Amino acid sequence: MTDHNQNKPGPREGRLDPEAASDESLQDVHAALAHRKDEVSEGFPIMPIMIVLFFSVLMLVGGIYMANYGGRFDPLVYDERKGPMAAVADEDEEIDIVALGGQVYQRNCQACHQAEGQGIPGAFPPLVETDWVTGSKDRLVRVVLHGLQGPIEVRGEQYDGVMQPFGHLSDQHVAAVLTYIRQDWGNDASEVTEEEVAAIRSEVGSRGAWTAEELEPYVD
Amino acid sequence: MSDSSANPDKIQKRGDSSGAEPAALSSIDHSIRVPVVLFAAAAIAWLLVGSVFGLITSFKLHTAGFLGNWEWLTYGRVRPATTTVFLYGWATNAGFAAGFWIMARLSRNLLQNGTLLNTAAVFWNIGVLVAVAGILLGDLNAREGLEMPGYAAPILLLAFVFIAVWTVLTFCYRRSRHAYVSQWYILAALFWFPAIFGIAMLMTVYAPARGILQSVVGWWYTHNLYALWLTPLGLAAVYYIIPKVLGKPVHSYYLASAGFWSYLFFASWAGMHHLSGGPVPAWIVSTGVTASLLVLFPVFIIGLNHHLAMKGNFAVLRTSPGLRFAYFGAVAFTAVSVVAALTSFRSVKEVLHFTHFTDGQMQWGLYAWFTMAMFGAFYYFLPRVLGREWPSSTLIRVHFWSSASGIVLYVFAMCIGGWIQGSQMNNPEAYPDFVEIVRNTLPWLVMASLGGLILLVGHAAFALHCLWLLLLPKTAEAGASLTSEPESMKLAAK
Repeated sequence: MTDHNQNKPGPREGRLDPEAASDESLQDVHAALAHRKDEVSEGFPIMPIMIVLFFSVLMLVGGIYMANYGGRFDPLVYDERKGPMAAVADEDEEIDIVALGGQVYQRNCQACHQAEGQGIPGAFPPLVETDWVTGSKDRLVRVVLHGLQGPIEVRGEQYDGVMQPFGHLSDQHVAAVLTYIRQDWGNDASEVTEEEVAAIRSEVGSRGAWTAEELEPYVD
Repeated sequence: MSDSSANPDKIQKRGDSSGAEPAALSSIDHSIRVPVVLFAAAAIAWLLVGSVFGLITSFKLHTAGFLGNWEWLTYGRVRPATTTVFLYGWATNAGFAAGFWIMARLSRNLLQNGTLLNTAAVFWNIGVLVAVAGILLGDLNAREGLEMPGYAAPILLLAFVFIAVWTVLTFCYRRSRHAYVSQWYILAALFWFPAIFGIAMLMTVYAPARGILQSVVGWWYTHNLYALWLTPLGLAAVYYIIPKVLGKPVHSYYLASAGFWSYLFFASWAGMHHLSGGPVPAWIVSTGVTASLLVLFPVFIIGLNHHLAMKGNFAVLRTSPGLRFAYFGAVAFTAVSVVAALTSFRSVKEVLHFTHFTDGQMQWGLYAWFTMAMFGAFYYFLPRVLGREWPSSTLIRVHFWSSASGIVLYVFAMCIGGWIQGSQMNNPEAYPDFVEIVRNTLPWLVMASLGGLILLVGHAAFALHCLWLLLLPKTAEAGASLTSEPESMKLAAK
């Protein structure tokens, strides 16, 4: 244990770490290096250039990454592939038109026409098994956009009330709710598209509620 | 605690960098032995506790019912307890011990105000004990690396106040004219830690930030605990041990300086890549990814500096256990940084996020790099501080090979297993059954547990060896040979 030799580590591996440098020399050499100007040219002339090159490459790659994925540092960009508020107005999303229509129906129509579209006899006409719903789309869209008043006959019963206009709903929502009532509760008619609603809306413009007679030309 | 009576002619005076005589190395080592041994002993005790907890955690992953009947040993408590014991018990205590010793030596002054350090050691370890007990009782905080309950943190911060005061005093009253690289890293780390720890505790526990900001702060802390606290302490040790053992200066001053500043600047941003795929603004994650990439610059420079110092001296690895452990750590540091940069990209994270790979990578950094570097420091400073030689080279060999093979096996199993797990989860057509994917990870988890078992063997050998060293009588000759100051570098300085 005492025959330790610092400069020639013996076969007794691992006993002790030789201490080949003193702290003073460590710091002095360090300080000397810090003040020596020609260090760069010694032994590794190519090294500083390589390091600068390496750093430049890293900065370049990092910069490209930030440009592509940084979202322009906008706090509202949560998905680096999309613009701000992407989650709110996402055009790529598949929309279940019937489900959306169901929600619109619940909020706007259910109070009068009831949950199953059965209506209230004498007061509000039913939506099931009637040509008013499953028949002409031209008439149906007009009723929803501008409202309906006066006497009408649905499934053999007379109604004389007022349906308010729902023109404030978007084309998408009108199309959705009409598709919903035409395809749910055992109804089985074609869907109403957003474009059809938009076309009728621009064709008619703004007007008051329709009457059953005024709607006659649009039955087919 | 100051032991100036040993050198009555070298009573401390204000080190104004001109007149004061540096103290002799052996008397510095002797003067700082009490606090350093205190911190080192606590670190080793926590290392053993942490290895056992870690092994229990690892076993629970593939044998779900293992020790499941005790509430305090359920996975949800044992795993955070392991992390806390490992980070604050072992790693931080070890970093303190190595850091104070290097600081005292390089300041070339006898230990002053040693009571501060002893008090800090007591308070710090009471704090860790309270933290671990709190976690096992179920009082935990759902933040990786910051699981300790709110009442443990003030004790740790109090301990840190003593430490900060001592370090600044030691540095201000140093008798050396120059500050060496290791001192930069230690000082930087000691300033960073209370800042990141205090801010993180404040914003996640005492006055929690609202919403996603809490997670951002959580990951900022967890990453910086590794990057700005443990890594600088590890680098300080490596920057000290390699030149000391080889008798060669650090290869380049410019490289060391550039590496230091660029590391501190880039590394502090890198933690944000952990939030990849989460509901955070895209630029936060992108900044983290970019910073992880840019960290490669200092890592490359630091690695180059160490490698060029080692060049032509690889034979010394066979004879110097301190250097062998430290160099293993330094190589692991370079490797894990490259892996961290490559896996931080979103396209890779899609596969590896939330898989066992994350754990493998964490241990790669925490164990293969930091812990191995600390073992190197322990093998180097303990005999010098105690004035005795390591009694058994067999135990050192057992420790090195257990630690090296255990961690390589663990990291390999977790990384490969995690990669396979992530690929299968991303392929629901081929693997529609989630339970099947979980079952496929079992062989890898068993392999990881085996790695943990091998590590425990190594740690037991290490602890036993340290105890043996502590109980040995001091040998005067060994003490002298350990702390003599060879002149070999004097020439190099001119």
